Amino acid sequence: MAAVGAALGFVAGLWGAHWVLEQDRIVVARFEGKRFEVPSKVYSAPLIVYPGSDWQRMDLAGWLVRSGYREQPEGGSLRPGRYVWAPSRLRVHLRAFEHPLRPEPARDLEFRLKGGEIEFISDAFSGNPLDVVVLEPEPVSAFLGQDGEQRDLVRLDELPPSLVSAIYAVEDKRFEEHHGIDLRRVVGAVLANLRAGQIEQGASTLTQQLVKNFFLTPERTFERKLREAIMALIIEARYSKPEILQAYLNEIYFGQRGSTEIHGVGEASRLYFGKSATSLSVSESALLAAIIQSPNGISPFKRPEKAQARRNMVLELMFEQERISWEEFEMARREPLRVSAVNPDARDVRYFLDALSQQLPGVYDSDVLSTRGLQIYSTLEPRVQRAAVKALRGGLARIEANSSARGRPISGLQGCLIAMRPQTGEILALVGGRDYGSSQWNRCIQARRPVGSVFKPFVYVAALDPEYGPVLTLADTLEDTPFEVETRETEAPWQPQNYDHQFRGTVKVREALERSLNVPAARLGQQVGISRVAETARRLGVTSALPEVPSLSLGTAEVAPLEVARAYATLANGGRRPTPRTFVDLVEADGVVGEVQPLEGAERAIDPATAFLAVSLLEGVVDRGTAARVRRSGMRGPIAGKTGTTDDEHDLWFVGFTPELVAVVWVGFDEPAPVGVPSSAGALPIWTDFMMEVVGKQVRGAFPRPSSVEVVSVDPKTGARALAGCPARHDEFFIRGTSPEQTCPVSKQSDEQPGLFRRTLGRLFGR
Amino acid sequence: MLACQTPSPPPKVSWVTPVRATDFVMQGDAARRASMRLVVQGLDADERKDFPSARASYERSIQVDATNPWSYLALARYYLEQGEAQRVGPLLDQSAALFEAEGLREPRVGVHLIGLRGGAYGSLGQDTEAQLYIERAQTLAPLVWGDGQLQAGELL
Repeated sequence: MAAVGAALGFVAGLWGAHWVLEQDRIVVARFEGKRFEVPSKVYSAPLIVYPGSDWQRMDLAGWLVRSGYREQPEGGSLRPGRYVWAPSRLRVHLRAFEHPLRPEPARDLEFRLKGGEIEFISDAFSGNPLDVVVLEPEPVSAFLGQDGEQRDLVRLDELPPSLVSAIYAVEDKRFEEHHGIDLRRVVGAVLANLRAGQIEQGASTLTQQLVKNFFLTPERTFERKLREAIMALIIEARYSKPEILQAYLNEIYFGQRGSTEIHGVGEASRLYFGKSATSLSVSESALLAAIIQSPNGISPFKRPEKAQARRNMVLELMFEQERISWEEFEMARREPLRVSAVNPDARDVRYFLDALSQQLPGVYDSDVLSTRGLQIYSTLEPRVQRAAVKALRGGLARIEANSSARGRPISGLQGCLIAMRPQTGEILALVGGRDYGSSQWNRCIQARRPVGSVFKPFVYVAALDPEYGPVLTLADTLEDTPFEVETRETEAPWQPQNYDHQFRGTVKVREALERSLNVPAARLGQQVGISRVAETARRLGVTSALPEVPSLSLGTAEVAPLEVARAYATLANGGRRPTPRTFVDLVEADGVVGEVQPLEGAERAIDPATAFLAVSLLEGVVDRGTAARVRRSGMRGPIAGKTGTTDDEHDLWFVGFTPELVAVVWVGFDEPAPVGVPSSAGALPIWTDFMMEVVGKQVRGAFPRPSSVEVVSVDPKTGARALAGCPARHDEFFIRGTSPEQTCPVSKQSDEQPGLFRRTLGRLFGR
Repeated sequence: MLACQTPSPPPKVSWVTPVRATDFVMQGDAARRASMRLVVQGLDADERKDFPSARASYERSIQVDATNPWSYLALARYYLEQGEAQRVGPLLDQSAALFEAEGLREPRVGVHLIGLRGGAYGSLGQDTEAQLYIERAQTLAPLVWGDGQLQAGELL
């Protein structure tokens, strides 16, 4: 019998040893392997400031906060990552920016501010003036995996002591002393729970909490508790306290941001305070420690009073345990609960991330992006992106609100806004819909919708282009009279109409486009040839299929907003077509540059003079035409653009540009339905709000005029060259050699005006 | 031993003194001046053979002022030196258009565009065009283009 008992005991011992070894294997595999799956982080373009720049528009104050810089009172030395903001003066000690190819050293800088402008920048140490300063890119978002976990890994030595103290105080005050299990606390908790008649206190150490998060499921069974205890002992035996603490700080759950789980103090700090965990104050440290017990139940966003009360309780514990002084306790306790004022949900940037991931080589698939901890430096400019989100959301809400006032309420309206630098194709902002959380359909790049009158300028470009032999000059006239075209697609001939079903007879070229008249554009398209119009659109940057039917001239083709942005960028850029670019380079977790997307020069697509004439026409649309609302808003300087409203107001477009920025706005429903307003009242105000925020009222620069364009005075009535004695005149742009030979007043030699074809032939053959 | 040669008469062409980026750092509005400063920083880095910093500076100069022709010129020179001649042409086109729009069409600007284009042709194996363009640049500005190349320091 004893032998049987001994044998059973031996077997049980063997099984127990095997079980413990198995737990050990699990612990080691997790700790020594890839401890965390780290989502790849996406960074913005750097912020570049210089004397004369508008620090308010550039959101310098916001950059400091989002980049984790910490304000300190004036006086004393300024450590990297700190700043002092005094009236008319800002001193910032920039942290070093670590990048394998383009690092920036830490620098102590002084900015002298005058009104909204930076007046002077100098090195705070030497006093030497600086002409330009590059501020480090800010983290804008991350590629999350299917588990939806987001974390920003931190190193223990980077964290403020107050954070560790706060967590010790409330979660595990004997962490430094125990070996994974705090028996004194277990006994205390058992007694307290017996007295209360229910489970009120837990006794888990940080190590046990780590085990629970790392390896186990949340159910409360004896076996799970046993495994938790054994694994905690194994971890404590195998690893140092700092290693365990660092793992805990990066693993612990801190709540939800939409569908995203926030793990670790690094990400939590960004969520709740909009800054890096390296610069947490005592009160902020206490708040984070307070949340750990029940991140959603004590959320400072949802239950600020409860969160503040528990924060103060943590501060009391810190003081009682002599982790902070009385002064620190008093100061921290008096601080109001300050959580991040910035949108805590970075989902708006996800549309941009989707576009970016499409530009990455195939090896960077979603698994790699969500686990390998890459650093991707993008072209996104946060202030431009924020302005885009604000303008689009505000505009869509306004259209819906106005629809109720008109008695035809609509809801669920969608939209998209994309902003591109025309010379380089860099995408500075992209908002593919109203809310990424509710719809990930990226309307900027995935949706193809009829473009309406936004297409018309391509018809004019085809007609103006000397490569084809120009059909048109800006001084010419077009016919706005009824006409019809036989088509293969329909039995009845196609009879284009203007929006008001009126015909105006003979109209000037500028007027035809400025008023977005359909009939002259349709006639011109027929005159030029639809295949040539389609070819022109493709050269400009449209890649969607373009059905070569007569109605193509009026924008019946379905095109993605990104293509529209690129085509207009080609016009803005003097006929050179840029390649869209969303990132600069990508750094692997080991610090090696994995991928570079070089800045490509734009390829010449159309004649620069033709592009300039098209831009001039589109400036007229803004100055006098369907987009005159832009000028009424007070914007001055070089601005061009085109409205587009499709049948029954299903799709509202506005594309507008300055010499340095192209922005496309689309508004509509995913399932086409009337919006109830035209583009000028729907998409255009969104564009104007956006541009006012980004560039202000005064647009800088000028659209470059090539030397092949000349200015000639013409008679506005006839388009003839205006000589002395002509009753009226205005200046008009012409491609050299295409200006009118007929004069005003009519001279004997020129009373018979040769047509443009003859003029061109004459030019070619020297006659 | 070199034979004693009768000096040949100087060629009947007008030499030009090519423009340098540093001549323009104080011109234009605040954005342009900052952009020019970044171009100069890039050229400095280029001279030190710190090529990643040079490229970053040129790209940043475009971020500050996308209409600065110098940014594209310097970037084109950079890519030519890096052996990426296929990127040079579009950047030179961009630069030329912007110089032209600013009224800078004289040969002292154009000589760099001509010479760099010649360099790109050469790198791409189009020797006839390369010779034509580089000879033209050499004729216009022998002191800078005499060796058929444009060093970053020659723009400073």
